[in-house]
Amino acid sequence: MSIRRNLVSLIAGALPIMAALFLWYAVCALKLAPASLLPSPVTVFTRLIALAGDTNFLTQAGITLFRLFVGFAIAVVLGVSIGILAAGSRAVATLMQPVVRVLAPVPKIALYPAFVLVLGFDHSSKIALVVADALFPILLATYQGAAAVEPKLVWSARAAGASPAKCLFTIVLTAALPSILTGARIGLIIACIVVFLAEMITSTDGLGQMLVRAARNFQTVDMFEPIITITLLGLLLNAAFNVLSARLLVGFAEQP
Amino acid sequence: MNGGTVLPLVGRPDRIQRVATNLIEIAAVSKVYDTSQRGRHVALSEISFDVAEGQFVSILGPSGCGKSTLLYIVGGFVDATSGSVRVSGAPVTGPGPDRGPVFQEFALFPWKTVLGNVMYGPLQQGLSRTQAATRARELLGLVHLTKYESFYPKELSGGMKQRVALARTLAYQPKILLMDEPFGALDALTRKHLQNELLEIWERDRKTVMFVTHSVEEAVFLSDRIFVMTNSPGRIRKVFDVALPRPRVRAELLVDRRYQEMVVAIEKLMDEQEPELS
Ligand SMILES: Nc1ncnc2c1ncn2[C@@H]1O[C@H](COP(=O)(O)OP(=O)(O)OP(=O)(O)O)[C@@H](O)[C@H]1O
Ligand SMILES: [Mg+2]
Repeated sequence: MSIRRNLVSLIAGALPIMAALFLWYAVCALKLAPASLLPSPVTVFTRLIALAGDTNFLTQAGITLFRLFVGFAIAVVLGVSIGILAAGSRAVATLMQPVVRVLAPVPKIALYPAFVLVLGFDHSSKIALVVADALFPILLATYQGAAAVEPKLVWSARAAGASPAKCLFTIVLTAALPSILTGARIGLIIACIVVFLAEMITSTDGLGQMLVRAARNFQTVDMFEPIITITLLGLLLNAAFNVLSARLLVGFAEQP
Repeated sequence: MNGGTVLPLVGRPDRIQRVATNLIEIAAVSKVYDTSQRGRHVALSEISFDVAEGQFVSILGPSGCGKSTLLYIVGGFVDATSGSVRVSGAPVTGPGPDRGPVFQEFALFPWKTVLGNVMYGPLQQGLSRTQAATRARELLGLVHLTKYESFYPKELSGGMKQRVALARTLAYQPKILLMDEPFGALDALTRKHLQNELLEIWERDRKTVMFVTHSVEEAVFLSDRIFVMTNSPGRIRKVFDVALPRPRVRAELLVDRRYQEMVVAIEKLMDEQEPELS
């Protein structure tokens, strides 16, 4: 029953995407745009399938994925730890609040040239940018989620004999999970965008750099491949995130 | 019959004698909340009373008179502004497994199953997982929830949740139960069932219980002693000793003149002081 409902909603959700693809196809078939500027989806996807066996392309995608993952993982670990500690200790909160207020609204992409100068052209500068951008939504969601945890949950655990620190890292952290995962999902989307951006701006490899190089050479078909790949990666990561969330949030009230 | 002396069971605060086996000693406890918008609010003013080991005491009073606050102070969850609370002779400085709370809102861990919730306390006490599971299953049997051990709290009714909460607290064997309107959110029938179950459980090991409630009948049915509080600032207004025989059976009590008279007397007292909500 639930499988059938999922299937129906999957098909329903795919309809607008199919419609957009069909529109794209129609525009090309009716020659409304020159094929040199807007290649047909058939051409684009045929090329993508060919690229799926191409070692160089897979390596570039792997590099992007690696940066995205490492950056996102660091952002999650940092954001969740700082957020939880700030919720548990007034001292940490007092210490962190001004820094976060100042740094959160800074457009991190403006820091990227500095990251490149300091960390070089390789992975580190891209990862640093991903961390800088994905960190704050995760940190703020964790802090707010942890601060909003029902005190009676903590009291129940304290009365049972758990120490304050243990309560913080077991009860408060777990009770704040719905909020933390919401922040992490936003962080993941931002990480997808930012890693690509960073590679477009200054990089010698990765999907973003492929796109820039293709554009410079007027290879319009090749321009589409990195975009579609990062979109598919985003979809895949989101699906994986959903599976993980569902497992972690078992028992919690249904998320809207 | 002789309507003038219907209160043979009533004591006065000044006549309460200190017994050697007092488990909880509350001495001149005051609580002032500093609120940014409304300034200082005196929630409790100079509350003093003792609870003997094995006694079941209830606290009655209008909404906002500080019943929960008092219970939280005894639990060590909230600090008193002045005064002291001693449990087994030692001053209360924080929560401890000798005092087990049961809240109106259940406060179960939503990510743990029924069994996981009840195992939590024993695990904190250092029992192994198998020992903790055995202990938890015993208690789930006691509250008639054996079949539901693998359910999550959100899959239970209110009455079942409160049974789990009670089992979770009993599982770490606190000396004292601190119950804050535990049955307040339940329908009348479930409430009566749980009152009976609570009394049955209490009859087994006679834990010391501090029980906050809005229901006069509930207080008289369950308690050895009832403290009636006044509103802002919260004070003890009157103490009633309930000398009804135990074990108590509801059907017998309902026709017992002493029960009826006590309920009426307390209701009257509480009617006199409608909460002034200004
Ligand atoms: N954290 C708080 N900050 C400020 N004021 C508070 C706080 N907690 C309680 N109060 C105030 O203290 C008073 C006593 O509150 P408390 O919750 O102890 O009352 P209560 O007797 O349990 O009421 P009820 O029967 O409605 O549960 C109330 O006037 C309330 O507004
Ligand atoms: Mg209350």
